[in-house]
Amino acid sequence: MNDSALTKSINDLASDLVFLDAREIDIPSSGKFMNRLEAIVKTAEPLNMNAVIHVAAGLNHILEKIIFDNLQDRELGFSTFEKGIALMQEINDNCGQTGNCSGDIQPFLDAVASVTGVVVSADPARVSDAPEAAQASEEAVQIQDVSLVKDFISEGLEYIDEIEVNILNLEQNPDNIETINTIFRPFHSIKGVASFLNLEKIRDLAHNLENLLDKARNMELHITPPLIDVVLDGADALKAMILQLKDQIENQPVKPLNIDLRVLAQRILSAEKSEKELPPNRKLGEILVGDGLVTQDDVNLAVKAAQVPPQKKIGEVLIEEGKVTPRQVSQALRKQTEQATDASTLRVDVHKLDDLIDMVGELVITQSMIQEDLSKQINADKNLMRDIALFFRITSSLQRTSMSLRMIPIRQTFQRMSRLIRDLAKNAGKAVIVEMHGEETEIDRNMVDEIYNPLVHMVRNSVDHGLETPEERINTGKPEKGLIILRAYHRGGNIVIEISDDGRGLNKQKIIDKAMKKGLISNTENLSDQDAFKMILLPGLSTAEKVTDVSGRGVGMDVVKQAVEKMRGKIEIDSTQGKGTTFSTSFPLTLAIIDGMMVKVGQEIYVIPTMAIRQALRPAKEHHNLVVNKGETIHVMGQLLPLVRLYDLFGIEPVKRDPGEAIVVVVEGENRAKCLLVDEIIGKAEVVIKSLGAGLKHIKGVSGGAILGDGRIGLILDPEGIFELSEGKT
Amino acid sequence: MDLQIKILVVDDFATMRKVIRNLLKQVGYENIVEAEDGVTALRTLKSQKIDLIISDWNMPNMTGLELLKAVRADEEIKTTPFLMVTAEALQDNVITAVKAGVSNYIVKPFTAEVLNEKIKKIIEKLG
Repeated sequence: MNDSALTKSINDLASDLVFLDAREIDIPSSGKFMNRLEAIVKTAEPLNMNAVIHVAAGLNHILEKIIFDNLQDRELGFSTFEKGIALMQEINDNCGQTGNCSGDIQPFLDAVASVTGVVVSADPARVSDAPEAAQASEEAVQIQDVSLVKDFISEGLEYIDEIEVNILNLEQNPDNIETINTIFRPFHSIKGVASFLNLEKIRDLAHNLENLLDKARNMELHITPPLIDVVLDGADALKAMILQLKDQIENQPVKPLNIDLRVLAQRILSAEKSEKELPPNRKLGEILVGDGLVTQDDVNLAVKAAQVPPQKKIGEVLIEEGKVTPRQVSQALRKQTEQATDASTLRVDVHKLDDLIDMVGELVITQSMIQEDLSKQINADKNLMRDIALFFRITSSLQRTSMSLRMIPIRQTFQRMSRLIRDLAKNAGKAVIVEMHGEETEIDRNMVDEIYNPLVHMVRNSVDHGLETPEERINTGKPEKGLIILRAYHRGGNIVIEISDDGRGLNKQKIIDKAMKKGLISNTENLSDQDAFKMILLPGLSTAEKVTDVSGRGVGMDVVKQAVEKMRGKIEIDSTQGKGTTFSTSFPLTLAIIDGMMVKVGQEIYVIPTMAIRQALRPAKEHHNLVVNKGETIHVMGQLLPLVRLYDLFGIEPVKRDPGEAIVVVVEGENRAKCLLVDEIIGKAEVVIKSLGAGLKHIKGVSGGAILGDGRIGLILDPEGIFELSEGKT
Repeated sequence: MDLQIKILVVDDFATMRKVIRNLLKQVGYENIVEAEDGVTALRTLKSQKIDLIISDWNMPNMTGLELLKAVRADEEIKTTPFLMVTAEALQDNVITAVKAGVSNYIVKPFTAEVLNEKIKKIIEKLG
């Protein structure tokens, strides 16, 4: 057997050697030889010609020695190299003629060992400690000139600023090699110049940091917050040292360095040694094993089972085998997605985001203006219409996406509340367990601060009035520790946040008695539980018997209600005496956009929040009545609802006054519904809410303004305010 | 010894370029051009005759190794001598560079004398 490709490779190598100018191998020819040897090994490997491969490795060792200038006897090195090539040719020839593809290579390998020194240097440091480096430090002083140092200072400081910026990116993006590189490089450059300028301390520190980042870059280390801290501190120290140098050169008093460089070096070293942490993206099986729920064997079996048709997921297999519960799998899956999202998040300035969302809002408005203008043209270009429709779809998804950028999980709010609950309970001498559900539910960041206070108040109420003392609880057969559950979820376009306790519940009778006494209600007929409970949200109605430290200081649940309504939210209360109470609040996901129905009254256009609209109808004549003490009513689905003529309230001239000709919109307020009389319904629109400014902030019945498709302003109606206006309250 | 050869110094760190320029001047080389990265270097190489490239290994956009490979792959300039500047002679890096056809390498920090020796070695070869 004689492989022609191998023979050719070996002959190429031999002829390169023959045509070498002198009996001396230099760096460029080493490179050529190394490439030849690589080709030979590649061809010999599939042929299992191990003798050739070993000889090639020996030749490579000699070349390495030549490259690193570590060869004691160059002449001997060259002749050994020659012998090696001859041996390789011999083995290959024998292989072709006799079929014996092995050869006596030991003498050659021994010769290589004696030329190169038994082991080929496995220690790269040996090279950098070469005499030339030592010489350099003596000489370096000579090349120090002030202008060079000045350049170094200004460029170095620039580089460190760059490092600081990039490190923050790295924290968000720890696995991005390119980001690590952008930090590695400046340290590397600083080190390089510092070594020429004989700035040893700067060189050493930059060198250590560079090494650390090099390991991270090679995936030997995982980027962790402590590692980032060390790098940041290192960058600070470098900066301080460069500034010292600057003072020195400018003949200014040099500020002492407040950093212990040895401690820092130690920290860098220990960060370097810290083991690589768990890979960022663990598989489901690994997570389950890691949590001690299943063994690796279980997972391996499940992986196999999952591949057999019908294909299943590993989690499904494990559940079917009864190894884990569905709940455990879903928790593990959640961990998995958390990892994934952690690895791909980016920190962005909120103001930038707000600006972006504002601009997108404007874009949506402009877009609908164009659409409106176009629809007025009878001969509008069909293609243009179609393009605009596409544009419309894109802008609305752009708007959704940009809104979602500002969404953050409610987790942090829940965690703050849970800490608060513990503190409150401790003060009140109560024991409590807090459970959280749906912490990952997302909400507009701008709403987080707004909802916090009302939520806190409700939590206070639960801890203070809801939960019993431990003795009371034991007496009523409940566990000693009270339970408060914080729950969040999305429902429609709203986020629902529930605060439940397993305390004593609300006493309906007590609330009714109090409300009667205050004259808030006159009779209790048809008063549902819900309605009764909701009365605790009315001003001046507190069922607490005494004012305590935490709640009941005059600011009652009515304040909560106002705050929630200000955000277009709603509160529901559910309670069972002796079992507990649940406050359920729902808020729109964002305060920036409202889904509205545009209605026309006279020349004016108003926007009614879609959420508040129950229905719209043109009533039959017989359904429109004048009832004593109640005024005008409309009979809607078996209910008599008061009619509010919007043009009366706003003092404008309508087109239609007869409800039978105009349109009646049934709108729900806090606890009642009324009919609004409008001329016509124009259509549905998502509008960006614009504040009317400080001067017009408290206009009753109007919650804001919106720029409409045709560029006009439409006022957004506040149903509750309209109702109050119509009832003559001011 | 031809001191008139035109040398292209490639490094992203301006101070470093100045350091090398100073060292070269110390041993008599005055004809020096600079480039701040591999891309600019390639443009310079295409527009004027360069006799020697001295390039840093670690640079953004295009590393020294990538520049070397690009030079060696370009018919017009493939024979231009290339001296690679490395930080600490990491064996693997040096061997990679040698295989890619580097003329020689030099380890930071170096003196004017060492630099001169390396340049002489390269130029002598060219005859």
